[in-house]
Amino acid sequence: MALRAAVLRHIRVPVGTLTATGPKPLQWSLCSSLRFFSSHDDHLTKEEVIERVLSIVKSFPKVDPAQVTPDVHFQKDLGLDSLDNVEIVMALEEEFKLEIPDKEADKIDSCHLAIEYIYNHPLAG
Amino acid sequence: MAASAVAAPTRNEVLWLYRSLLRVARQFCDYNIREYTKRRTIDAFRHNQKLTDSSKVAAAFADGKAQLEVAKRQCIVYSLYAPKVKSVMDVKRSA
Repeated sequence: MALRAAVLRHIRVPVGTLTATGPKPLQWSLCSSLRFFSSHDDHLTKEEVIERVLSIVKSFPKVDPAQVTPDVHFQKDLGLDSLDNVEIVMALEEEFKLEIPDKEADKIDSCHLAIEYIYNHPLAG
Repeated sequence: MAASAVAAPTRNEVLWLYRSLLRVARQFCDYNIREYTKRRTIDAFRHNQKLTDSSKVAAAFADGKAQLEVAKRQCIVYSLYAPKVKSVMDVKRSA
C-alpha cells in the first residue's frame, strides 16, 4: 500500500511539470508576433527588396534562374504569360505580407516595377 | 438568344477571377485544402487557356465564378471548425 502511494506520487510529478510548461508555447508565439510588428519600424532597404524579389522570381518553376536580373520583363524576357504574371505577383504579396490591389497588380509586369512598388509600400515587411 | 446574352468575359475579368480564387485559396486554415484550392485553380485555368469558342469561354467563366462563391463559403465554414493542431507542413514553414 505504501509502495503504491509512493509510486502514484512519483507518477504525478511529470504531470505537474507538464502543466507547468504548458503555457510556454503561447508566450513564444506572443514574443514572435511582437517582434513581427516591431519589424515595421525599420524600413526595408532597396538591396534587400531587390534580393528578395529576385529570389521569388527565380524560384518560380517556369523561370530559368540564370535569366533573372533586376530589369527583366516577365512576359517579354522570361516567356511567361499573364496567368504566370498573376501568380508571381501573388507570391510577392505573400513574401512581403502585402495586399496589392488589382489595379496595381495588373501594372506590375517586370522585376523593376515590382521592386519599385514594394520598396515604396509603407507596410512591406 | 441565350448565347448572345452571355458575352465572353474580357481578359481583365478572367485575370480578376484567377486572382480572386488564388486569394481565397490562401485563406483556408487547413494546409491541404489551401494547397488543393490553389493547385485546382491553376490547373483549371491552364486547362481552359486555349478555349476560343466564346460560349465555352463564358461557360467556363461562369463555372469559375460559382466555384469562387463555393470557396468563399467553405473558407468561412472551415474557419469555424478550424483544427486545433497545425499541419506539420505549416510548422515547418514557420520554423
